[in-house]
Amino acid sequence: MSTLSVAHLGPVAYRDGLDLQSGLVRARAEGLTGDWLLYPDHPPVLTVGRGGRGESLRADPATLGRLGIEVFEVARGGDFTWHGPGQLVGYLVCDLTTRGRDLHRFLRDIERGLIEALRVWGLDGETLPGRTGVWVGGEKIASIGVAVRRWVSYHGFALNVAPDLRFFELIHPCGLRGIHMTSLAARLGPKAPDLAGAREAVATGMAERLGYPGVAWADAETVRRLATAEPGNLIETAPAAR
Amino acid sequence: MPISIVVPQLGESVAEGTVARWLKAQGDRVRKEEPLVEIQTDKINVEIPSPAEGTLASILVAEGTTVLVGTEIAVLAAPDEVVGGKPAAAPALAPAVAPAPAATPARARAAAPPPAPPAAAPEPAYASHGNGGMVASEGRNLSPAVRKIMREQGVRSEEISAIRGSGLAGRVTRDDLLEYLSRRVAAPAAATAAAAAPPLAVHVPLPGYLAPQAPAAGALGPREEVIPFTRVRKLIAENMVRAKHTAAHTHCFDEADMSAIVALRKEWAPKLEAQGAKLTYMPFFIKASVLALKEFPWVNGEVRGETMVLKRYYHIGMAVGRDEKGLIVPNLKDCDRKNLVQLAAEVNDLAARARNDRLKPDDIVGGTFSITNAGVYGAINSAPVINVPEVAILGVHKIVERPVIRDGQIVARPMMNASIGFDHRVVDGELAVKFLRRVCELLERPELLWFYA
Repeated sequence: MSTLSVAHLGPVAYRDGLDLQSGLVRARAEGLTGDWLLYPDHPPVLTVGRGGRGESLRADPATLGRLGIEVFEVARGGDFTWHGPGQLVGYLVCDLTTRGRDLHRFLRDIERGLIEALRVWGLDGETLPGRTGVWVGGEKIASIGVAVRRWVSYHGFALNVAPDLRFFELIHPCGLRGIHMTSLAARLGPKAPDLAGAREAVATGMAERLGYPGVAWADAETVRRLATAEPGNLIETAPAAR
Repeated sequence: MPISIVVPQLGESVAEGTVARWLKAQGDRVRKEEPLVEIQTDKINVEIPSPAEGTLASILVAEGTTVLVGTEIAVLAAPDEVVGGKPAAAPALAPAVAPAPAATPARARAAAPPPAPPAAAPEPAYASHGNGGMVASEGRNLSPAVRKIMREQGVRSEEISAIRGSGLAGRVTRDDLLEYLSRRVAAPAAATAAAAAPPLAVHVPLPGYLAPQAPAAGALGPREEVIPFTRVRKLIAENMVRAKHTAAHTHCFDEADMSAIVALRKEWAPKLEAQGAKLTYMPFFIKASVLALKEFPWVNGEVRGETMVLKRYYHIGMAVGRDEKGLIVPNLKDCDRKNLVQLAAEVNDLAARARNDRLKPDDIVGGTFSITNAGVYGAINSAPVINVPEVAILGVHKIVERPVIRDGQIVARPMMNASIGFDHRVVDGELAVKFLRRVCELLERPELLWFYA
């Protein structure tokens, strides 16, 4: 398998992130590029996947309006979740055909990639059967929700590095009642990594558990050009499928 | 040739998927590779692309329905085929001109019955089906569900012609056919086979291993048969091994004098039957368990890492055997807030949906404690496997008249053995024994529910 291309996109509105992923999924399906891990920095948003139930949203529209939080319905699996500052959101745009189209294995590998990264900071992440995500000491530290189009994945995971955990009180995360969210900062205090450190460690852990020989960092501009590329208009600087 | 759209293989451990959203409506033209439908499993949502260009002739499975991998969910007609055009807003009476899905071989493998034909007041989700899923047969429309049962039960079309249908324009519905079959099975020729089977067995063909074997044609046939695991079987196998590997399984046993419950049920079953609810023993077992769980909260929990999570809600799992389709344990939500009549209705509904592959994902997750009744198959005792991550499971069994001593006299009483499988990591033997005794006591003296529930 070729290397995993990784890019930090910087600030991205949630809707623009969806468009970017759509474009990149198409480019990947048409063989214009390889597999990607993208890190967008989203403003606070709530998103709900296809498994979503209205009752998982605890806040009323007025509260959301006051906080300036938009709600997006997206085509990934899973229920409500929150994204925003202090959280490491990772989009995984990967061809699943080369992975035997085994969806659960892909989810389990993402979990293992995150657990691998947590180990760097001495945390023992664990998985719970039937509850996709990564947990530390009974509290949830990372959520996973994936969509697949033309057998290419998008969306991905969200690892709580140092977000304001009170945002999760707006919802029942993932539709689960009575679960507690935690973060690297809550667990590690001053020893917690910053977002840049988390990006590095998670990219390494993901590449290892998803079976890539290594990672290749690229810039956001390359991703944007690929996402709007037309077939026959191959971009030379793009890390094409190797 | 119509093309059958099935839920594709989605991975080694994926046995089923939920139809999350139809991206095309019945009658829409689709290009090859264009997304048709979203299927969800676990935390993944997959768009299934169309295998060819054509027209979506009929949608067989409604949004929100969970079906096994391999189930046919739609039929695609080739571009040059005549199809029923745009779907009618409401079921029409005219015979459909949609291609006959029954002709496609994949259908025979479909594990879940397609949605029942629209009743007099169709749900909106089914309205778009129109009559696209039905074919004209002997001048009468038969739904996919009816045809499936006909195939499984070997019902001839002459028999169907003789049934007075209660559906639109005298159409024979699934219920008509099941009602007919219940009488047909009762005929003398089949009586012996039916007598031993539980009541619902008339709906379900006997699995291969229970069906009467034809006398061996000769001694030359193979003496062993190799049958690969189905996906559901693999999943059950994995769950069982995981349960046995993680929980420190231990069992203990008790017995209950069921005189009071037997009398209560004898009196109330006909009354509830008149209201349309079948009263089995399960609601009594649930009721007794919930009160006992409230008194022993440690039994209603989950091991999560090195923590014990106690739950103050009571979602009681109920093991449902489904012959060769394999065991499944859906759960009834918030049993502490329901009376016996409500529990009876929900038990019946859940069991029926489990057998007909109509469970929703929510039905099989979130259980806090489970009950398994091996008595329906005749067992007088069992050592059940815990439905992890729960920490205990109650086993209930056949009620048998046995001699017992009461006031120095030998008398016959309807007795039942009860067992508990518990995770000895967190539930001590003392607790398990006390809990089980309390369940038996509540069954022996249901008036305690008056005083303490």
